[in-house]
Formats: sequence, C-alpha cells, structure tokens
Amino acid sequence: MATITESIKAEVKEIVYNFFAEECETDVSRITNETNIISDLDGDSLMFLELIEIFKKKYHLDIELKTIGKYAVKHPVSTIGQLIEMQLLIIEHENRLLEFER
Amino acid sequence: MKTGFLNSSVNSPDCLPDSRQSFIFAAFAQGYRNHSGENLPGFNRDFQSRLAIAAATIDPVLSHFGFSGETFENDELRTQYLTYIYSSTAAGILRKLKFRPVLTAGYSMGIYAALFDAGSITFASGLELIQIAYQSMRDSLPHDHFSMGTIIGLSGNDLTDLIGNHNLEASISNRNASHSFVVSGYRGDVRKLLELAAAEGALHTRDLGVSLPYHSRLLEQGSLDFARKIRAIGFQPAANPVVSLVDQKILQTPEALRNEVVRNLCCPLNWLNTQEVMVQNGVNMFVECGPSNGLVKNSKFVEGNYRFYTLGNLPPAE
Repeated sequence: MATITESIKAEVKEIVYNFFAEECETDVSRITNETNIISDLDGDSLMFLELIEIFKKKYHLDIELKTIGKYAVKHPVSTIGQLIEMQLLIIEHENRLLEFER
Repeated sequence: MKTGFLNSSVNSPDCLPDSRQSFIFAAFAQGYRNHSGENLPGFNRDFQSRLAIAAATIDPVLSHFGFSGETFENDELRTQYLTYIYSSTAAGILRKLKFRPVLTAGYSMGIYAALFDAGSITFASGLELIQIAYQSMRDSLPHDHFSMGTIIGLSGNDLTDLIGNHNLEASISNRNASHSFVVSGYRGDVRKLLELAAAEGALHTRDLGVSLPYHSRLLEQGSLDFARKIRAIGFQPAANPVVSLVDQKILQTPEALRNEVVRNLCCPLNWLNTQEVMVQNGVNMFVECGPSNGLVKNSKFVEGNYRFYTLGNLPPAE
C-alpha cells in the first residue's frame, strides 16, 4: 500500500494527460480534468487497459484487472479528473481497492 | 520499447533503411466517413475502379457505396467486400510508393486482402472467395442463432472458466491481447458470457451483432463445403510470406495458403501471437491497410521495438 504524495499526484496527472494527448492526437493544452474521455477525446476501453498497464509497470502494482473492472462498475469514470483519481486509488490500495469505498 | 506513430521521427520509408515492414489487413472495417486513405495519391481513382469491377462481377449493389453515404457497415457480406476493396487498393498504392512488406497478415476475414496483396490470388478471386466463404457458412448454419462478442479486461483462463462452469456453447475465437478477446457461439450463450464477464470484472463487453460464429468449430461443416467449392480457384506462391493467425506459421506455398483460408473459418485465431511472431522475425514497422485504426488500437500490447502506422499517419512518400 503506497502513500500518495504530491509528487505522485503530479506524476500521475502528467502521465494521464500526455497519454491521452498522444493516443487521441490532440494537444495536451486542450485537456483538462473536466475533459470527457469518450465524448471529447473518443477514448475507449483499450486505451484504459493500456494506461493501467503503464501504471502497473511504473509503480510495480499488484492488482488484477478484474478488480479494477469491478470497482469501475460501482464508480464509473467519465472525465480525465475522475480517471486520475481512480489511478491514485489503484496505486494506493492495489488489490484491496474493493475494500475501499469513496 | 514500443513507439507510437506520433513520436516517430521518420520522414519516409527510405529514411528507415533497416525497416522491415508488415502490412496488416482488417476484416470488417468501419469509419469510411473520415477514412485515413483519402490522402494517398490516386486512392479515390483506384478505389472507384476496383469498386466498379466488384459491382460488375460480384454484387451490383456495391455501386451504391459512398464514403459519406451508404457504407454497408451493418451488412455482413458487403462490408467484407468493401473492406477487401479498400485494403487492397491502399496496399497497392503503398507498394507504388516503395513500401515493401516482408510479412503480411490478414486479421480474420482480412486474409483475402493479404493473399491478394502478396500476389497469391487475383483481385477477382478474392471477391469470389469472400462470397463462397460467406455462402458456405450461411448454408451450414441457416438459422440466425449465432453471434460474436468482445471482452476486455479478463484473462483467457477467466473466460474458459466462465464458459466451462456455465456450460456455454461459446468459445474464444480470437486473442487480441492478453486481456482482450473475441468470442463466438450461440447467440444466447454469447450474450450470457458477456453478462457473466461484466459481473466478473471485465472492463468492457460488446455484442458484435454478427450472425455467424466466425473462427469456431461450429463452422467446421461450412469450412469443408468451402474447401470443396474453391478447388477451381487458383492460388500462386506468395511474393512475400503471410503469417497464419491460426498457428503463426509463415506461409508461402499455394497449398499452405489454400489450406489457411479454409481453416481460418473454423479455427480460433491468435492475433497477439501473430504480431509477436512478426516482431520476432524482425518486423519493426506495421502499416494498417484500412480506413481506420482498429488493428492499431488492438496492437499496443506486444513487446518489441516497432512502430505502427495507419494510412493517415504514414511517413510522407517521396
């Protein structure tokens, strides 16, 4: 279980912003926390999967994808800000994510 | 290291003297309205020419196709013809632009475009193969009780367990990535599997809305019928090898390629392993020869040093 520092928050935000800017062929300056991943960026679940894999490798996370899937059913994500929040929770709680309730 | 096309620094194929290219061909393409091949030199002329041939020889209704109008994306057979016409046109132009694939692969029913591009079959034969394959499958399973779906976020073992534990007449028909699958089977069972997968924690599930269980043993009889009906169609040695999605063998002889189109109908495919084999064989540049980026999206989970391009993001030709 990791402690989420301001540095990790900034890093996760930067990774998410740059990831969607590249994948969705848009300028990073056009992305905000309020940007809708599907309607504004034409994002999809494969991008989400790829992003999770990036974070799993970067932070050496022990978490099954289906744990994230079950969490996402209860806590759907539609904006970049919500996605960053979820990624921080994943980094913090890993496979115990479902035990945590917002 | 994987490199997306956006951080590619190449300017032309000639700037990649060590590039080993692969053309990859989609099965059921979508996204014609903003299709990525429109800026290829001569694309519209060549496409219209091939479309006219197809309309004259195989299906007159194809002449109603328009990039901003009728695209037949919900017509299971016509969309295969159009994907084939589009993909083969694009690949032909790329070859004129000095792209030289060392390996090619056709995703699912994209195999016909791969074989045409590799010089194993004629353009007309490709259309005929698509028609006969569809009719053979349709005749062997005349009832509309089948479907396919995609499941993202579970492992293959998870899906196998769900299928086994619930006695579902469904199977994995394509492995796109370690956690991305296509499934085929009886419609009710496919839908049940999608529901179970979502409850199990899949990130995404979708009924593909097709009426045949492609790449499943349910089509064994149809594939035998197909094999019998295509005996008269000539296959030539491929100018460049084609990678099998069934067992990832590298195919080049007429016999092997003929056998491949038959078993492609009823055997499960593995797109992930196919790409891995291409990378292991030195491919470092994939080009999706279709109107959109469906294969590129599915192709980001292979380890290796390679670049992906769509027709809309190619390095400029000289």
